[in-house]
Amino acid sequence: MSWTDIIVQGLKNWDTSLVAYVPDISIDRVTRLIDDDPFFHLVSASREEEAIGVAVGAYATGRNSAVFMQSSGFGNSINAIASLCIPARTPLPIFINLRGGPGEFNIAQVPMGRATRPILDTLGLVNFTLDDEYNMDKIVDGALKLCHANRQPVAICMTQLLHGGKLA
Amino acid sequence: MLRFEATQLVLRHAENRPIVSNLGPTTDELWHAGHRDRNFYTYGNMGLCSSIALGMALSTEEKVISLDGDGSLLMNLGTIASIGREQPPNLVVVVWDNEEWAQTGHQSSHTAKGTDLEKVAQSCSIPRTATVNNLEDLEAVFCDALEQPGPWFIVAKIEETEYLPVAPIEPELTLYRFRKSFGA
Repeated sequence: MSWTDIIVQGLKNWDTSLVAYVPDISIDRVTRLIDDDPFFHLVSASREEEAIGVAVGAYATGRNSAVFMQSSGFGNSINAIASLCIPARTPLPIFINLRGGPGEFNIAQVPMGRATRPILDTLGLVNFTLDDEYNMDKIVDGALKLCHANRQPVAICMTQLLHGGKLA
Repeated sequence: MLRFEATQLVLRHAENRPIVSNLGPTTDELWHAGHRDRNFYTYGNMGLCSSIALGMALSTEEKVISLDGDGSLLMNLGTIASIGREQPPNLVVVVWDNEEWAQTGHQSSHTAKGTDLEKVAQSCSIPRTATVNNLEDLEAVFCDALEQPGPWFIVAKIEETEYLPVAPIEPELTLYRFRKSFGA
């Protein structure tokens, strides 16, 4: 399976049918698959913290949810994660296109991209980084299992080495 | 119109429908007006009250009520656009509009200086909107909103008054019992 199919299958395995996101070209292939699949409801948010709120609302009524964003958008959503997801113990998978790694062409994407994982660590949130498809099905499935067991957000960071990145 | 009286009115008509409350006095007053499993209190994440309610409305067929505030919504006007885009017929947003950031020292908010949140909602394709200034008008439009398809966006102009004691909110417990009330 390709990395996009692995993510879609992982979400289905964990009955995660509401996905809130802010579009990103590098992971558009996976959010497009989600949008085209009637199993999912893909909600387009105007800002990443809004996507967090929508996803928590879905979970509160018994529907598993996930969010997709870019690392810059993770920066926009830190307080939503810190003041809503963590205190309420919300098992929210956060899929992040991690900018600022090998191949980055945009100086403005480097600081937040590099800071994303240290911030996740500071918040005490488990996070995984995917550079390639090796063992990826086990990592995605295991991340979602851990997420629900721990009832806290888990971040799955996807680098340009995985998805090929944005063409400059 | 006082927010506490208006909150009591909302609770009288809400029956068992889920309610999400904005952080601060809105959450405190909802708790004092009547604690129930279907109250989703927020105590942080300013701006996300109606975003949370949107996620709920997309995941249940029940009418979902958001008790938001002007200052908080101004922080996340995009959520009005997302509600307009999704068009959930079962979402009722009520904005307690005191035209100020009361808790931070009564600084005037943008709604005191020309921003009309009802017009924002209308321009975002929200089909059912109203602005009310007293309890009678709020009751009439809120009862309509519970029966008629929306999404609804009701701006309720309120006066600020003394605060009630802070409610003993435990976010983890709030989410747990709220989910349980949906059978999760």
